Amino acid sequence: MILPVTIGILVAGAVYLMMQRGMVRIVFGFALLSHAANLMLLSAGVTHWRGEPLGGYGTTAEQADPLPQAFVLTAIVITLAVTVFMLALAVIGHNDDTKRMPDTGEKHDR
Amino acid sequence: MSILLTLLVLVVAVLVTTPLARALERNTGYPLALIYLIAAAAFWPAAASVMAGDNVAWSVPWVPALDVDLAFRADGIGVVFAMIALVIGAVVFLYSPPYLHDGRHLSFYLVMAAFTLSMVALVLADDLIVLFLCWELTSLASFLLIARSGHAGESASMRTLLLTFVGGLTLLAAVALIIVRTGTTSVTEALQNPVWQDDGLFTSVVAVLVLLSAFTKSAQFPFHPWLPDAMAAATPVSAYLHAAAVVKAGIFLLMRFSPAFHDTPVWNYTLIVVGLFTAAMAAWFAVQKTDLKKLMAYSTVSQLGLIVAAIGVGTEVALTAAVLHTIAHALFKSGLFMMVGVIDHGAHTRDVRRLPALRHKMPWSFAVTVIGCASMAGVPPMLGFVSKESIFTAMLEAPGPAWFGWAAFVGAAAGAVLTFAYCTKIVFGAFVDGDRSDAHVHEARPSLLLPAAAPILASVPLAFVVGILDVPVGYAASDAVGEEVHPHLLLWHGFTVELAATAVVLALGALIIASRLRLRRRVEHDTLPVSGVEVIAAINDSAARMGRWMAAFTKADHATRHLAVQLAAFVGAVAAGLLLIWPAAAPPEPMAELSRPIDVVLLVIIAVAVLALCTTNSRLAATVGLAAVGIAVTVQIFALGAPDVGLTQLLVEALTVIVIMLVLQKLPLVFGRGPRLGNAAAAVFALVAGLSAGVVTWAMTGRRERSQLADYYIQNGPEITGGDNIVNTILVEFRALDTLGELAVLGMAGVAIIAVLSTVWDRYLDPGPERDRSFVPAPRLDLRPEGSTAYRAIEHAWGNAIPLQLLVRTALPLLAAISLILFWRGHNFPGGGFIAALVGSSIVGLIYLSTARDRQIGPPRMPLVLIGGGVAVAIGTGLLGLVAKGSFLEPLHWHLVGQDISSALIFDLGVYMAVLGLVMVAFNLLGTSAYEPGAEGTRERTDEAVEGELEGPMDTTRGEPAARPSRRSRLIASGTPPRGAE
Repeated sequence: MILPVTIGILVAGAVYLMMQRGMVRIVFGFALLSHAANLMLLSAGVTHWRGEPLGGYGTTAEQADPLPQAFVLTAIVITLAVTVFMLALAVIGHNDDTKRMPDTGEKHDR
Repeated sequence: MSILLTLLVLVVAVLVTTPLARALERNTGYPLALIYLIAAAAFWPAAASVMAGDNVAWSVPWVPALDVDLAFRADGIGVVFAMIALVIGAVVFLYSPPYLHDGRHLSFYLVMAAFTLSMVALVLADDLIVLFLCWELTSLASFLLIARSGHAGESASMRTLLLTFVGGLTLLAAVALIIVRTGTTSVTEALQNPVWQDDGLFTSVVAVLVLLSAFTKSAQFPFHPWLPDAMAAATPVSAYLHAAAVVKAGIFLLMRFSPAFHDTPVWNYTLIVVGLFTAAMAAWFAVQKTDLKKLMAYSTVSQLGLIVAAIGVGTEVALTAAVLHTIAHALFKSGLFMMVGVIDHGAHTRDVRRLPALRHKMPWSFAVTVIGCASMAGVPPMLGFVSKESIFTAMLEAPGPAWFGWAAFVGAAAGAVLTFAYCTKIVFGAFVDGDRSDAHVHEARPSLLLPAAAPILASVPLAFVVGILDVPVGYAASDAVGEEVHPHLLLWHGFTVELAATAVVLALGALIIASRLRLRRRVEHDTLPVSGVEVIAAINDSAARMGRWMAAFTKADHATRHLAVQLAAFVGAVAAGLLLIWPAAAPPEPMAELSRPIDVVLLVIIAVAVLALCTTNSRLAATVGLAAVGIAVTVQIFALGAPDVGLTQLLVEALTVIVIMLVLQKLPLVFGRGPRLGNAAAAVFALVAGLSAGVVTWAMTGRRERSQLADYYIQNGPEITGGDNIVNTILVEFRALDTLGELAVLGMAGVAIIAVLSTVWDRYLDPGPERDRSFVPAPRLDLRPEGSTAYRAIEHAWGNAIPLQLLVRTALPLLAAISLILFWRGHNFPGGGFIAALVGSSIVGLIYLSTARDRQIGPPRMPLVLIGGGVAVAIGTGLLGLVAKGSFLEPLHWHLVGQDISSALIFDLGVYMAVLGLVMVAFNLLGTSAYEPGAEGTRERTDEAVEGELEGPMDTTRGEPAARPSRRSRLIASGTPPRGAE
């Protein structure tokens, strides 16, 4: 049971980074969190079966559950999209501090 | 068939309203009245069949999977209510044109027509789902008709909506319970289910839910405030909805469900007590009002209370009385509402304190109002007298001890005295008393007076030949009791206790008339210090306060507060789960051999990289740490037997790092200060969250055999799809809809970046060195004099890019070929649209990186075209499947030139385009050089992505309203500038 430990470490790192002030660190935390979520999804397919799910490749008895893999593939690409979006937010005003906003005349709740 | 025809005629009425209102303006009411009479004629065969004892039904399957039919059925109750809705509707439409002022009144006619359709469909519905939907539609129409009446109607309509939707929710709950318990959505079958006799508790619960729904709609205490509130609506609306239709929907519901509940004590007592209390309370309030329309509203609430109480008694006689009074009330009350409109028209006020004695100038209106009020007050020989007598009789049959029946009888009689009192007030207040000048008053035109008088006058002959109502009332009562009822309605019953009660009421009424002026002074003030409106406002405000309190947890513009709440909730859920579930149910044994040696190696790498990423203060070092984690996770994914996923992760990792580097060039070199609570607190929280995630994964995964679904895909996937790569076939064939959604998210992220950046002014987006606190000037190195090689290497960076440019020349065709091969073979081997697109994106990345300075890749609008085109191609493939195979996104297979070709390949092309579009948006918009003079800034690039090539950043931000004259403005013609344009 190694994977749960890996996931725990990734989540711990993610939460630590997400509690920081800088948007870039929060984005990094988000990246770690999605790694953890993806590994969690894959382990839902039971990690005992680790054969590649390709027809005519290896024995079907050894092949891994393809459904979580499809989910994770989707998730990875969405992670890319969201990461890029959040990075675009981080770079506005050349300052990624989420608690001190540039003075644009709007009111901010702290 | 007759039912279908009726409903179709009403649908036609809704459809023709818009063109009619354009052509005829306010006279639209006349053709609509004709259409309603046609609908009534179309309904006649069904009604005749019901009156012959044979119910008519029509249905067509609607949602076969849930066994829901679009089912309608005419029975006694349905016929009575449908006829009321159609005939009174026609009369009100005849009344509307002369009443309304000049103009189109499209919204009035349209919503009225839509309301009639939903009301008739409601009373004929034989499916619980249809019944519920029509119920809600009548609520919505009622809301709209109040809301359209200008400023006064705004808050009143919201209160109406609030109260009637409470009833909608209880009805939804009741319908859901009935469907789940009886297993059918048919109203007829559900009511015949033995559960109503067998399970007292269930019956009581559903009975309470149903009666609450009816109370909201029929304005029974404590839901009554909406009806007086609704008087903000136009008078024709009140004459129709608030006298005959929408308020009767609640009465209808009670009667419809009465067969199931009429022996249930909670039903009987609640309806009788609340009904009589409402009747007396509202009658008292009516006496106090000086606005005739408000008075009518409270009078309606009071009369509805009497009907509700009669339904609560639940015997044959009682339900006969309820049906009869429903008919009588629909006639006299709709007429009286219209008469209030007539008075308003003639005297320009409807307040009794300001009305002159109208009887001299408006004799005809006076006569009609007297007859209507006499019917309402139960004076013989009116139809109202017959129905009120029968309600007195019904009260004596109330269940429980004998004194309860007598108490109900006395309560109803007391209500009748108050009814007499407010009827007195209408007649004498408007027509007899008052010493103001009546010089400006004029009698109403016949076109206005006749439709108003029609329902009132109809009830006079009906009282003498009330026997003709025996059959319809009898069938309606039979359906409401669930047994055969054969009533014999008579005007004269002989000397009975009910007649004695009427005599007492009339005697007291005479006293009231005699002393009316003295009494009026004493009662014309509000009894209670708070009105229903204020109570609703208080409830509303406290709900809003509660909402603000809940929102305070996440009320901040920075992300940490939002994330912390969610993460804490996650930790809390895990802890609660462990404490509550664990002792009772330990998880099953884990499978053998869940781990491999490589997992340990990767664990160590990931742990070290995460630690470095979290502890370093340098942004660059953190990026390296993140990349290390990404690579290790990629290897882990490969080790778990997921080559497609691993390839995707690897390419995404590379692209992410490039985008991060683009962003970092504009940000400070180090991270800066830690969180407000301190790094130690963040670390403790992080460790607890990590522990929770680890425990959850450990406890909930790896403890079962491979799933059946996995076996299905592995055994059958290649055969069904003709593709060996099962993951890819899941993505583009089995679960293509998921992928379509993902594709849309991807594309929208690109669009959202453009949208967000174009809402920020250029000077805030790229502040410039003097206003940028994190600006670091380029280092000045006086190594060599100008012109030397070292100087050029440092100051003119383009030379440094030459090796990479040479590499791109060779690598580019190679990468393109690889991308193509991956795309083509995705169905059978690792590859497919995503991976191919990511390789294609890395071409874009390579080209971008090999230039010495930031440049836009491709035409400026290309990314958006790619995104839109990708989504369009994917949806087009789906539609192709829909047309050819009858199922959205179902793939088509062709055999061409010795190759199996699937339409999934076209779908994959859509995926490819969208991914490429997003990546190009990222490079073009985020890679702009910050401080280079003359270079394009972020804002300019953003605007160019939408508008094409531009000279510089735009001066507007998206979302700002532009100062331009409105469509109907005459400003240009008259040469005046719009406000705020100077």
